[in-house]
Amino acid sequence: MKESSDQRRKERLDRGIKVRSEGIYALMSWRELSYLFLPRVVLIGGLLILPLAMPSMYWQRVISIVCIYALLALSFDFLAHYVGLVSLGGAFFIGTGSYIAAILNTSFGLPPILTIPIATLLGAVICTVLLLPCLPLRGVYFAIVTLMYPLLLARVIEALDILGGTDGILGIESFANRWMEQYFIILMVLFLLFGTRRLVNQDIGLVFRAVKDNDQSVRASGISVTYYKTIAVFIASGIGCLAGAYLVHLYMWAGLSTLALDFSILPIAATVIGGSGTLVGPVLGAFILVPISELLRAFGTLRIVFYALILLGFIIFRSEGIMVYGQRKYHQFEKWIKV
Amino acid sequence: MLEARQLMVFYENMLALNNVSIRCEENQIVGVFGANSAGKSTLMYTLSGIMEDIRKKEEMAGGERISVLGDITYLGEGIMGMKPSKRAKKGIVLCPERRRIFKECSVLENLRIGGYLATPAQAKDTLEYVFNVFPALQKLQKRIGGFLSGGEQQMLAIGRALMAQPKLLLLDEPLLGLSPLIQAVLVRATREIRDEMGISIIVTEQYARPVLPIVDYAFILENGTAVLEGTRDELMDNPDIRSAYFGIK
Repeated sequence: MKESSDQRRKERLDRGIKVRSEGIYALMSWRELSYLFLPRVVLIGGLLILPLAMPSMYWQRVISIVCIYALLALSFDFLAHYVGLVSLGGAFFIGTGSYIAAILNTSFGLPPILTIPIATLLGAVICTVLLLPCLPLRGVYFAIVTLMYPLLLARVIEALDILGGTDGILGIESFANRWMEQYFIILMVLFLLFGTRRLVNQDIGLVFRAVKDNDQSVRASGISVTYYKTIAVFIASGIGCLAGAYLVHLYMWAGLSTLALDFSILPIAATVIGGSGTLVGPVLGAFILVPISELLRAFGTLRIVFYALILLGFIIFRSEGIMVYGQRKYHQFEKWIKV
Repeated sequence: MLEARQLMVFYENMLALNNVSIRCEENQIVGVFGANSAGKSTLMYTLSGIMEDIRKKEEMAGGERISVLGDITYLGEGIMGMKPSKRAKKGIVLCPERRRIFKECSVLENLRIGGYLATPAQAKDTLEYVFNVFPALQKLQKRIGGFLSGGEQQMLAIGRALMAQPKLLLLDEPLLGLSPLIQAVLVRATREIRDEMGISIIVTEQYARPVLPIVDYAFILENGTAVLEGTRDELMDNPDIRSAYFGIK
């Protein structure tokens, strides 16, 4: 025993305030209440102030793009870490949503306030139906199929010259003013973020996570895995289609670039940086990655190099992600103790 | 041959091994017995170095912090903190719990992967020896690992470990979920391996009775603490141990 007494190890303990504020007793003290509310208030307040704090129209536009990627990252994280489906379908969802909204707006003359919800629901239905065949399968099939659809759709549009062909659909109505444009998507990000967080903690979220852990056991419990995967894909593709429909009204144009691979890859990078499985992490990841990519425009073609280096650095040195790290530091403290 | 002193392993703040000291002499079969969560697998992972690997992975992923403290001496050399691959090269080879064979490879391929560290001549000899000890495997050479029965898979796992030319073989629950008949075959084979190849063996089990006849020395773990140790006969004389671990009234 004497030998080991000079050995030390770092101990990690939950902060007292975390333990106290977990129960209903949190309501009895301002300190504990604020411990709970502070991160949420900072996030909500920060997002709401953001458009006002931006120096120019250009950066306000960047915020809108960031929000689109944030929605895609949220949808990716939800599918990958709560249902166990690795989706590369960001471009597929965006493309479907944006073309539907564009057609509704140009051919039927519906205003954005109608096209966006319709495109969201209709797009989610279409995406889910198209992805249905690979839902009973396990493994990489879902990822591959979701990756193939946008490529396929782009070539079909190009070859048959439908839906505007390579020129895209022009003359789409924009939002009434730029404040509406900004706050619509920011409120949507907040609503969907807290909504998904609530969802994964409900009973249905429990089934989702069980499907991810061991789908055979779920099946053995008499639950249809395919049914729940369908619901999850519907939710996730709905989030993506909403982003796509919004994008169309932002750019006033729908074209082949809405089916570009960026929409599939960048959300994954954002999820890695933000901390996978936290839902809020990927949103923050998008808020870091997309502006960085804008700032790096000054470097011209070297942009991608720096971008890749930043990503690599994150993966090597902080592969857990910002949010996982941050949550740990917020909730726990460390001290050296003798053993 | 191997001596571990005052091993302490923490999973975050949970103490998995508390001041465990064990020893294995040359050409000995040492048993480590204990219930679930007694720390048997943790001990095996720590001795084989797999714990270093798990620790690093957890650290990268931001999971729980694993602290390993203490001191392991193997053939007069401290091996604490050494990588598992390096320990395997030095002759400490783990045959993991639940077998972990390569399910999509055939029996022969499994064995050949195990022989990565062996010279071609050694591999050939050992392969012959494995088929000699486990004749059942000889007929199944072409069979895919995942299609083997539990007992055959365990034989394959031990065979694969032997192919790595161990000096000290760590068998983690080799009898898990097997019928008494197969258990007897494996126990006999374990003794043969020790006698014929001169390999020291540390074997863990929950239920000590099947392996008891072949162990020279044994440790009893309870909740991460080594509560008792002794030769086979010494343990047999202890009435509590007899009923708890050996099932003999």
